[in-house]
Amino acid sequence: MTTGCILQIALLLCFSITALSRSFNLLQFQQRSTNLECQRLMMKLSGTPESCLNNRTNFEVPKEIEQPRQFQKEDAVLVIHDMLLQIFEIFGKNLSHTGWNETIIENLRSELSDQIDRLKAILDENTEEENPTWENSTTMLWHLRNYYTRIVQYLNAKSYSSCAWTVVWTEIYRNFSFISTLTDYLQN
Amino acid sequence: MYTLAHSFILCSLLQRPGMHNWIELPGCQYITGTTCDFSSVKLSVFEKIQLRIRAEKGNRTSPWHEVGSFIPFRKAQIGPPKVHLKAEDKAIIVNISPPGTKDSLMWAMDILSFTYSVVIWKNSSSVDERTETVYPGGKIYKLSPETTYCLKVKARLRLHRKVGSYSPVYCVNTTVENKLPSPENIEVDVKDQSYVLKWDYTYENMTFQAQWLRAYFKKILGNHSDKWQQIPGCENVRATQCVFPQKVFSKGAYFLRVQASDGNKTSFWSEEKRLDTEMQTVILPPVISMKSVDNSLHIYIGAPRETENKSTSQHYPLIYEIIFWENTSNAERKILQKKTDFIVPNLQPLTVYCVKARAVIEDEKWNKSSVFSDILCEKTKPGNTSITWIIAGVCTALFSIPVAIYVVKGLLRCINYVFFPSCKPPPNIDQCFSEQSLKNLLLSASEEQTERCFIIENSYSLVTVEETSQVDEDHKQYSSQTSRDSGNYSNEDENSGSKTSRELLQQGLV
Repeated sequence: MTTGCILQIALLLCFSITALSRSFNLLQFQQRSTNLECQRLMMKLSGTPESCLNNRTNFEVPKEIEQPRQFQKEDAVLVIHDMLLQIFEIFGKNLSHTGWNETIIENLRSELSDQIDRLKAILDENTEEENPTWENSTTMLWHLRNYYTRIVQYLNAKSYSSCAWTVVWTEIYRNFSFISTLTDYLQN
Repeated sequence: MYTLAHSFILCSLLQRPGMHNWIELPGCQYITGTTCDFSSVKLSVFEKIQLRIRAEKGNRTSPWHEVGSFIPFRKAQIGPPKVHLKAEDKAIIVNISPPGTKDSLMWAMDILSFTYSVVIWKNSSSVDERTETVYPGGKIYKLSPETTYCLKVKARLRLHRKVGSYSPVYCVNTTVENKLPSPENIEVDVKDQSYVLKWDYTYENMTFQAQWLRAYFKKILGNHSDKWQQIPGCENVRATQCVFPQKVFSKGAYFLRVQASDGNKTSFWSEEKRLDTEMQTVILPPVISMKSVDNSLHIYIGAPRETENKSTSQHYPLIYEIIFWENTSNAERKILQKKTDFIVPNLQPLTVYCVKARAVIEDEKWNKSSVFSDILCEKTKPGNTSITWIIAGVCTALFSIPVAIYVVKGLLRCINYVFFPSCKPPPNIDQCFSEQSLKNLLLSASEEQTERCFIIENSYSLVTVEETSQVDEDHKQYSSQTSRDSGNYSNEDENSGSKTSRELLQQGLV
């Protein structure tokens, strides 16, 4: 066997051992499960013509979310909890112009709500101890909430039209990929 | 604080961070009081803002007084929630609307996060107070009929460390006791692929119906009575239980409630029972296989047998609890393992060990595990005894004998070559020589030359003495044979010649 062949096999073994030895905790598993389920349900919502995407606005995703650096587990829980909360709220607004299936929306909100409850239980535990890094964490939270405020203000301004919802759908779907990245930081 | 001796006019401006223009604050221009309301401003309550105020009178203005920058949300306090009560005989439905108005921006993003605590007491005696945490559409149970109860509610945002103020006190009378009590002690069990909903009821010959609601509806405001749906297979059942397939409920949390009816009248709805499908998932036991290696056991834990197709196969993070014991004794040893392939070392040889295992979800709070797998027993091997060594020795010997013979043979050949070389020239050397005489010289073939010596005497007895050189008997047989003594060589002609002369001599003498 050539040395190149041996090197490849050695590298493959190293990677697979590393991948298999990562221990997932239950929370991470549940979060991943929620992420997948929500994306699956969102795909089931019927889309509108591509012309709507011409109205795309830059909602200015906070940099800490778009390109996260090293996140503490508590901060990751805080951020993911808030993101899911806001997405839950957004899908509770006026959807009459979209023609989306109500049952799918209910399933989506149900899935979000359950995961929000699980994350909230952990957050309630953490807030019992006075956390010195609370100030830094909340700064990130204000940036995140400003971002979602912009999305809601956009929907308001466009009177919850079908096209506006398509743009928001795209943005929310993108949110789930950010959440997936942050889920990696839920390890102990 | 400006006191108003004259009609001072206050003017205030607003600035957002990153912007260098001060903007007029609507609702706070030319105010004659000392407070103003700028709720109508469409700003994000999470953005840092700065304010400055000055007083004006006519043409004269005071210098600006700047209020330090702040985030409105952080400064905001939670007001009292709005409560609407509806009484039953033994329970009160508390419909809570979150603090603020419907359009208020401040708590728009936190409506789901509010927790409400209710303090309730009997109007007659304020001694026995009860504090409970309720959902917005929640109910307070275990009350007495025909009693006046008073309560007050406050909202709390635990995450942001905000506690609101209490609402005003509301009082309500519970109704006369309903002839039909509500069903009690609702339980949900899992059996095969179905849920079994059970409850208790005091009277016989009643029909029941059961409904379900997605759990999250309880957290958002409003009256969700229209959102409750019938559970299939649980309409007008006569027994105090009903069975419905698991696939009615997709993954998530639900509330269930039951109502009794005797044909004419119905009872109030029972206490709502929360069902979390994830909590009901059944973890299947793993499949173990074992192999005994010397005095240890090699255990493999495999995936459970899939009985039917599950719609979502939940691969939870699992650890395995393995219990093993010697078949004769009862002393059990427990191992917790995450790997599915491991060895239990240092066991007694030639002993039967039995093993059983179960899968446990890896979480401190969630205590969910499967049932134990089937018990598997295996006997350990003999291990380090002499038998093994004997067998090994015999095999080695059998293998090494031909090897030794081959080596010895090679050595002998070597010795022979070095110490006792044979003088045979190479076989194809005759190709180098063309002349026959030279060939004969080099390759003498035949027998030894024998010299015959005749001793002739004057007597009549003739003695023929033959002198032969030392020649092996074997060499006479061969026609061409080299002799050992390199000096001697034989000549066939001479031999025949010597024969005839002998004959002549004999004839002459006679």
